[in-house]
Amino acid sequence: MPKAVKPLIVIVLAVAVAAGAAVYLSRQPDQTEITAAPTHADIKGGGHIRGLEKAALTLVEFGDYQCPSCGAYHPLVKEILNRYPQQLRLEFHHFPLITIHPNSMLASKAAEAAGEQGRYWEMHDALFDHQREWSDSPNAEPIFVALASQMGLDSNKFMQGLRSPQLQDRILRDVEQGQNAKVDAVPTFFINGERVHIKLSMEDFVQVIEAHLPK
Amino acid sequence: MKARFAVIAILAFIGMVDALYLSIKRNAGPIPCHVTHGCTDVLTSRYSEIAGIPISWFGAGFYIVMFSLAAFKVFEDPKYPSQRLTGLVFYLAGAALVVSSLLVGIQAFILKAFCEYCLLSAALVFSMFLLAPSPARRKLPE
Repeated sequence: MPKAVKPLIVIVLAVAVAAGAAVYLSRQPDQTEITAAPTHADIKGGGHIRGLEKAALTLVEFGDYQCPSCGAYHPLVKEILNRYPQQLRLEFHHFPLITIHPNSMLASKAAEAAGEQGRYWEMHDALFDHQREWSDSPNAEPIFVALASQMGLDSNKFMQGLRSPQLQDRILRDVEQGQNAKVDAVPTFFINGERVHIKLSMEDFVQVIEAHLPK
Repeated sequence: MKARFAVIAILAFIGMVDALYLSIKRNAGPIPCHVTHGCTDVLTSRYSEIAGIPISWFGAGFYIVMFSLAAFKVFEDPKYPSQRLTGLVFYLAGAALVVSSLLVGIQAFILKAFCEYCLLSAALVFSMFLLAPSPARRKLPE
């Protein structure tokens, strides 16, 4: 047997075993998540609604504008709302993880301040679409003000909104709801009160929504 | 000396599983993250890919190469040890250590979030570098 054959066999075997182990592990459900988190939560509204009021399904999202994962899910959430305009609506709740995302609270306030002028969802989309521009900024406020100006918002009112304790209270009420629902990561989704784990793919989103549509 | 390369091969094998797991799991929803709680932040950040390719795939490639080199060292004829292979293992581990340090720095100072799988990988690279014999080491004349 040539000298190189033995190591080559070992290498091929090791790569195959490692790939097999990785595939096996990736298909295992997250046991701690399943046992620790309740499967249902009583979410008492109060979030921002996008879609038809009478839609059969309410997709509740607890999200953080600075969270890259929420940013990655954002286009999927928009797409799924477009696909099921009659059956599905979104209820977005703020859940800023301020310890790891220092700009997240201000971003939530920016969305709420835009909401005071009737443009909540435009700012919501803009915050996610431009997340990379403000996420790491040591002073994100001018970026939010610029976004508000681009949207044609009244800058003075917007600035007042950023400093409004009432708007901050609204965000904190969302956080409290999330804590009551045992939300410990963002984004966390619920459909009609049932906690759902949705993979970062349109196929999985469609599958989950289809499974919850009334038969 | 063979024992060192055997340990490097074992570490590279663990790294292979780690990197392949991350590569497969990356687009399959939230990644279980029970220690550092920042995996999704790190793995969906702008620093998690190069030219659209997730860094974990580069990591998997690196570990496969390291495992292969270490395997060849383990099975080589001890009478004719290859200095070239020894050098390759050392310099590759050194380069990976630089990249790993950079990635840990990004987690600590830019993202302010840690991914436990990435930290495991950094620890593996660090251990491999420590174990890799330096090719510059020469036997002292008797």
